[in-house]
Amino acid sequence: MVALVLFASSMALYLVAAAGFVSHLTMLRDAPRRVALGALGLAFAMTTAGLLAHGFEGFALRSSHDQLALLAWFLVAVYLLLQLRYRLAVVGALVSPLAFLLTLSAYVAYAGADDLGGSLASAWLPAHVAPAFLGYAILVVASCLSLIYLLQERQLKAKKITGLARRLPSLETLDDLSYRCVAWGFALFTIGIITGSILAKVAWGTFWSWEPVQILSLLAWLLYALLLQSRSSGWRGRRAATLTLAGFVLLVVSFLSLNFGFSHGSAVG
Amino acid sequence: MMEREVVVVGLNHRTAPVDVREMMALEGDRIDEVNRSLCAIGGINEAAVVSTCNRVEVIACTNDWERTRNQIIDLLRADRPAAQEIADHLYTFRDREAVRHVFRVASSLDSMVVGEPQILGQLKDFYARAASVGATGTVLHRCFHKAFSVAKRVRTETAVAARAVSVGSAAVELAGQIFDRFEDKTAMLIGAGEMGELAARQLVASGVGGLMVTNRTFDRAVELARELGATPVPFDGFHRYLPMADIVIGATAATGYVLTRDLVTTALRERNSKPVFCIDVSVPRNFDPQINTLDNVYVYDIDDLSEVAHENLEERAREAGKAEGIVLAEVESFWRWFSQLEVVPTIVALRDKAERIRRAELDRVLSLLGPLTDEQRAALEAMSSSMMNKILHTPITQLKQQEPRDQLLFVDAVRSLFGIDESGES
Repeated sequence: MVALVLFASSMALYLVAAAGFVSHLTMLRDAPRRVALGALGLAFAMTTAGLLAHGFEGFALRSSHDQLALLAWFLVAVYLLLQLRYRLAVVGALVSPLAFLLTLSAYVAYAGADDLGGSLASAWLPAHVAPAFLGYAILVVASCLSLIYLLQERQLKAKKITGLARRLPSLETLDDLSYRCVAWGFALFTIGIITGSILAKVAWGTFWSWEPVQILSLLAWLLYALLLQSRSSGWRGRRAATLTLAGFVLLVVSFLSLNFGFSHGSAVG
Repeated sequence: MMEREVVVVGLNHRTAPVDVREMMALEGDRIDEVNRSLCAIGGINEAAVVSTCNRVEVIACTNDWERTRNQIIDLLRADRPAAQEIADHLYTFRDREAVRHVFRVASSLDSMVVGEPQILGQLKDFYARAASVGATGTVLHRCFHKAFSVAKRVRTETAVAARAVSVGSAAVELAGQIFDRFEDKTAMLIGAGEMGELAARQLVASGVGGLMVTNRTFDRAVELARELGATPVPFDGFHRYLPMADIVIGATAATGYVLTRDLVTTALRERNSKPVFCIDVSVPRNFDPQINTLDNVYVYDIDDLSEVAHENLEERAREAGKAEGIVLAEVESFWRWFSQLEVVPTIVALRDKAERIRRAELDRVLSLLGPLTDEQRAALEAMSSSMMNKILHTPITQLKQQEPRDQLLFVDAVRSLFGIDESGES
């Protein structure tokens, strides 16, 4: 119960943060940005407390609810960490509504809390979910950065500089940060896939079973590998940003298939 | 007694052409001299002179504004036989309008380029000069400090000064949208045109790490490079240096394209597609506009830059409306304080307040003590009255005895020490 209240309040705070970031970007005022950051920090604390409280009630990482809540938590954590070094209000304007949507989905999913299967109860489960989801979160932030890059790049090419453009970070910052986020996200994602296949071996007796989420994850992994390879050989800017966004689409589809489509492990039963 | 007023007499870039402004400008010790002379004039309680290249003004606190106006004009044109005809260029503001004018000047709303940042610092200097010779007092002190805080509010709450309005600064602003920092960036100036030199100077001032200069006449390149602290490179082989340049400025008198799409494509390959910002300030254009179709290259010609600068200027104008609102509100708040700054009403208010306290306390004590004889009651009345009068005696005498200029200081102090201004601002 406590956890539900905490999640509900954090949802409201995510909305406050989103409104704050948007008004900061449109009104050229600094106060809303500080309010938004405060709201986001508070929401993060509440989600943390909620996850902990929920943990005592039997946090399993096996239900959609737990996973969505965890992803929101990671996402906000990654953003807040980045925010320590860079002024990225515009990323906050994307991350806050995303965190809201994730928490809302978690809330809805809670009603029909489905357990992904007792066979997954193993020490390998957190070792799979934690890096994979942290990787997801970082890759989502990378995609936000790339999206903003494309926005900024288009304005500069078209020579139409709006007031909003001034609030956006420079192309250099966006490109560089997106690159680094993809690198970190990719590394964690890789660990997640490896531990995931070990988990599959332990739980279902096979390392790889070609179920949709695995195929999509593999595709996304290959795409990010390609992106990193091209980047290290001088690819950058618009093309790199577009590819990062393509990876994001694959990630979303794979995540949706995990949570709302085919349940993980169904292929083996 | 005449009403005390704030008056501004002066001329600025709108009312006087540059030769008149030059003639009227005050410099160095002359400023202190004028400040001192102004204060020596009867009727002028406080004064401060402001003299920049765009304005010459005297802000004064006086009891007789018409006489003061003429005295200020006489003083301004003293020793200047050519200055007899300046009356047409002068403006006079009184009361709220005068205060508003000072606030607007401080907030850079009255500047030639609205939002330019220098004026606030200049105003602070001129205030400090006037204060150093004892020309300012309570009113101008408050007025100037209020003006400085209004300027700060305008700066933080509106975008009046936020954006670049010259071609050169627009280029720097755009460079800031592309690059995160300038220290590790290198710029290349092609040609020795004036606009190009200006843009290069602004980039150097913004902290660009390195600058190369090339010109068809190499001697001119060397000369310019020395001036800008840059490195001259030969014009014939400038494309060999092109891959090193993150920012390229074109300012040659050439009629064909100096920078072609092919040249930039080659350079990009060599620099791993790191972004390049091409600033073409020459007419006819030096850079092939097709270069802009290449990924990671951004080409802005003089028209594009003017467009950006112009849009910024329009935005400043929009923001100026917001700023005027802030100024008006602050003028009202200053005025509330200023209009209460009188000796007699202050004494009345002081007595009122003390009497109210005395009455309230007396009633409380009388109700506690129960039935008293008339003598006892009269004794209490007399004791409380005499206590009140003895306490108030010194402050009131002091208020009455001060010289006019110090009087305001005492009025201000009494009002805040005894909390008379509770309805006013802090």
